[in-house]
Amino acid sequence: MILESKEVTKLFGSKRAVDGISLQLEKGHVYALLGPNGSGKTTWMKMAAGLIKPTSGTVAFEGAPVSIESRKHVAYMSTEPYFYAWMTVKDVGKYYQDFFEDFSYERYQKLLQKTELTEDLKTRALSSGMMAKLKIAVTLARDARVYMLDEPFNGIDLLARDDIRACILEYATEEKLLLLSSHLVEEMEAIADRAVFIKEGRLVENVDLDDMRSQRGESMADRYREIYGHTEG
Amino acid sequence: MFKLMKYEFRKTWMTKVILLGITAAAQVLFLFGLYGDHDNALGLSVFLLTMLAIGGVLVIGLESVITLHRDMNTKQSYMLFMTPNSSYAILGAKMLECGLSILITGVFFFGLGALDISLLFVKQGELNKLYEMIQQMIHTINEKITIDASGIASFLFSILAGWIGTISTAYLADVVSSALLNGKRFNGVVSFLLFLVLDWAMGWTAQQLTASITSINQSLVWSGVISLAFSAVMYFATAQIMERKLSV
Repeated sequence: MILESKEVTKLFGSKRAVDGISLQLEKGHVYALLGPNGSGKTTWMKMAAGLIKPTSGTVAFEGAPVSIESRKHVAYMSTEPYFYAWMTVKDVGKYYQDFFEDFSYERYQKLLQKTELTEDLKTRALSSGMMAKLKIAVTLARDARVYMLDEPFNGIDLLARDDIRACILEYATEEKLLLLSSHLVEEMEAIADRAVFIKEGRLVENVDLDDMRSQRGESMADRYREIYGHTEG
Repeated sequence: MFKLMKYEFRKTWMTKVILLGITAAAQVLFLFGLYGDHDNALGLSVFLLTMLAIGGVLVIGLESVITLHRDMNTKQSYMLFMTPNSSYAILGAKMLECGLSILITGVFFFGLGALDISLLFVKQGELNKLYEMIQQMIHTINEKITIDASGIASFLFSILAGWIGTISTAYLADVVSSALLNGKRFNGVVSFLLFLVLDWAMGWTAQQLTASITSINQSLVWSGVISLAFSAVMYFATAQIMERKLSV
């Protein structure tokens, strides 16, 4: 078990963003974390990244609660832009190199080439699509054990999406766990082998997609419609 | 820690460059006024340099508090808090960078002031008489006070350490606001009151503990030491709250 969430709840004032989620995620899989806006996906990911403290319950990385140690092995990519405004693309890489031992600047440069970003670009001048590519490049340039990418395809055009999907899949090895949240269910279907459905802060199910297809005859999109059909109207 | 400090400096270096640029311009004006015998320019430059010395130290401290606030309350917080650094290291880097910047700025302006006064003395010998007159006047008001190098250094240390203490208190109030009172009513008012009470407590403690010291220089030095000790207490309390309660 590489990531485990035990009865995790997060309250924001009186709002229950995450409500008692217990979940076990294993290495060697690509998980799709699914749910509509406000279902608690991002909050749960941020708790697993150690950015948000749970109100109750624990998220553990390899058996120990998430901590400074787990941040060395968990690469998290937020859906929002978060780089300092004064940074260039090069500064972003240098920053990650300074703080993450598993970061490879060489790999970062290769990923930048694929995404057609240049090191002299100012982050504040990037379009949303370019920013999304930069976030992915700098996150995937780490040799982490867990990758959590929140909405990695947001703002990225179809062709670039193919490149990014290929980059992500390069990391899908036996030793790593990839967890991706997205609204683009069809997109995720081509990448993930397991799906975690969250609704109103609660876990609906953590399912193997091959089993779901063979045993229930359902695709991920079918199941998504089934679970969220009423809430999404 | 050094890497964190490097980035803390990087976040605030522009203000320091601007401060240095304006100071250089004011210094040029001072030299122009002094050696070109332009009294108005000399007067204006002395006013500007005095304001820059006071304002510079204030601005560096305030900017540090604003940077901490931004680092906890905007998305750029992820840049700090997703790295494998403890809250103690993150806050320590901020406090060290800010404290060192305040001390260096204070010492820089003190040195510049000493240099400019020396130039004035050399150029206008009669100022020596003015200096003696001021010494005599102060001595009449309080015979314990003498203007000498150690007195000025003690005063400078006391003021700068006191300001570092105030900034540390502002850090604590801001962290309490972001970590414990976030989303609650009167958050801003409560944290501001907390800041006022703690800052007053620091001053009161220093006053009580130095009340029995007869030498003004020693009293100033001890007051500075107490402010720095208070800063250390604020640091541990603030880092502990961040470590346990802060969500970004």
